[in-house]
Amino acid sequence: MKFKKIFNDQRVVLTLLTIALFIFFGLRNYAFFNVDFVIYPLLRDGATLTVIGLAQLCVLSIGHLNLAVGRMAAVSALVAGASYQYWGLTLVQGAILGVLAGALLGAITGWIIVKSQVNAFIVTLAMDFALLGLVTFIYVTFTGATAAFTTKPAGMDYWRSKSLADFCLGPICGPKALPMMLIPAIFCLILVSFMFSKTRIGRELLSTGSNLRAAKLSGIPVENRVMTAHIFSGTLAGIGGLMLAYTNGSFTAAIGSQVMLPSFLGPVLGGTLLAGGAVAVLGTFIGTMMTLVIRQGLSVQGIGLETLNIALGLVLLLALSVGQIQKMFTSTKLREKK
Amino acid sequence: MKLPVFFKNRMTEFSLSVIFVIGFLALVLTSNGVFLSRASLQGFLTYLAVPIAIGLAQMVVLCIGQMNLAVGTMGGVSCAIMAVLMADHNLPIWLAIFIGLFSATAMGAINGALVVLTQLNGFIITLGTYTILLGFQYRLVKTFTIDKYPSSLPEFGKRNFLGFPYILVIAIITAILLSLFFSRTIIGRRVLATGGNPLAARLSGVSNNRSIFIAHTLSGLLIGVASVITIASLPGINRSIGGDWLLASFAAPIIGGVLMSGGTIAIYGTVIAAGVVRLVDIARAQYSLDPSIVSLSVGVVTLSTVALSEWRRRRTERQNEGIKGLI
Repeated sequence: MKFKKIFNDQRVVLTLLTIALFIFFGLRNYAFFNVDFVIYPLLRDGATLTVIGLAQLCVLSIGHLNLAVGRMAAVSALVAGASYQYWGLTLVQGAILGVLAGALLGAITGWIIVKSQVNAFIVTLAMDFALLGLVTFIYVTFTGATAAFTTKPAGMDYWRSKSLADFCLGPICGPKALPMMLIPAIFCLILVSFMFSKTRIGRELLSTGSNLRAAKLSGIPVENRVMTAHIFSGTLAGIGGLMLAYTNGSFTAAIGSQVMLPSFLGPVLGGTLLAGGAVAVLGTFIGTMMTLVIRQGLSVQGIGLETLNIALGLVLLLALSVGQIQKMFTSTKLREKK
Repeated sequence: MKLPVFFKNRMTEFSLSVIFVIGFLALVLTSNGVFLSRASLQGFLTYLAVPIAIGLAQMVVLCIGQMNLAVGTMGGVSCAIMAVLMADHNLPIWLAIFIGLFSATAMGAINGALVVLTQLNGFIITLGTYTILLGFQYRLVKTFTIDKYPSSLPEFGKRNFLGFPYILVIAIITAILLSLFFSRTIIGRRVLATGGNPLAARLSGVSNNRSIFIAHTLSGLLIGVASVITIASLPGINRSIGGDWLLASFAAPIIGGVLMSGGTIAIYGTVIAAGVVRLVDIARAQYSLDPSIVSLSVGVVTLSTVALSEWRRRRTERQNEGIKGLI
């Protein structure tokens, strides 16, 4: 019986599926097992997209959506890049400034939603449009035709290209396949997971998401929690934006323009409900890795960008329908029991 | 007195018309009358047709309280289908246009069917179909520009009727037909009822699922019209078609007075708002500003319009509650 219970866990199934897919693609083409060119970048992108997925998860927990995750990431990268280029700040100082910018944007978004009572996805969509213009405008005004901040602070390449193999405790070094970028991602995973499972704020967020009225009647400061969720989302999007920029090597307006779909794929595949009230923090990482394995696996097979898009869109729609079918099955089962 | 649908929500539409006229005159004055020349007026009107059509396509979905994120790629794919059929398979123009309209409508119908089957918000479904269709669009067009179709189509796009390009006339006629659909037909009224209050609609015997399906299908058809207009107004079709449609499609109806919560339409408002956005675009070109300034200002205006209309709605609600309290 215990065996069956393990397989009922979506995360276990998803992990097994991801590993199976990985082995499948690897057997079709041995180049897929290459550490330097496939596994290392795969995990590095996975780390970044997991953080952005967590940014989406924070607002999904209260049943909202954040369509501006990518653009919040872009603003954070913009602020950090500007601080390196014009104010000569160090890597850490600029990064803190960038993350603060993300948090501030999240706070503004949350405030607009609470004050105007407009649907979150409309506010974040409009926010996305406004920030798109703003970010491009700033890059073009300050840097002209290059439209990028290219100053690299000391230590940026370390995060970008080093792995745990360079991180030694005495004689024992980490494996070469694990990128340094995994460290901030794991840090975020632990923090978000701790918040949702152990703290009061986390539980209040989840109950706000599962039933707003009930939460309000039980004395939860619902409006504050909406703000909280959006601030967390902005902060995590900011961290994700910095990770994207460090991986990219320069700060451009294109940062974050491709992350909207992946930011939903990770949490939703992992088992986060779109309607709010249930989150899957570790599932976000596994879901993100699965989509990346599919993407990378198909491109190693020599399949072009166009087919990748089709595959990813189908994965999203399938994941959503599977959740719906499950719900239908449970409701019919319940009816039969009655 | 019963007023036609055109004038129901007059305040927004009246002020937009005034803004349009003032903006138009300002452009004429600052350009020393160059804007009134045949060529530039022609350009202004020709490229107004697409924003109107995609604005209406988004409005139809907004009126049931959902949104269609796939407008751009749906248009891109149906443009690509028409161009490929005409250029590579030598299909006659009328057949290609028919297939283009049909395929866009079918894509809308698939969106609608998926929303009804999964009972999820249209936003997330259309995000999925957006990605899938983007793949198909890239596959069809690759990195080429397809322009080897009969030149009579682009020539039609250049022709005009009393100074109005035919394609703008097509967009206006579509708008009028759509307004008749919502004001005169039972199906149209039912769709609006679903948008206004799904529960009340169901209790009065309206099938919400059918309304959702119809709204998405109609949105597809309107995107089909937009892509026919696009293919007639551009010299060739490449993979960038539809890439900049999303913001425009939201801006026109929202600035025109359509509520995001559903239940309202503003056809004249959408048309005139598309005109105002187009004026901003022209002004940008005239003062040689960066294109990003347009999306920045349009985004900010859209955001503040949404906030304002919601604030107004809540104020009326509060006033109504006050009345209820008195009774």
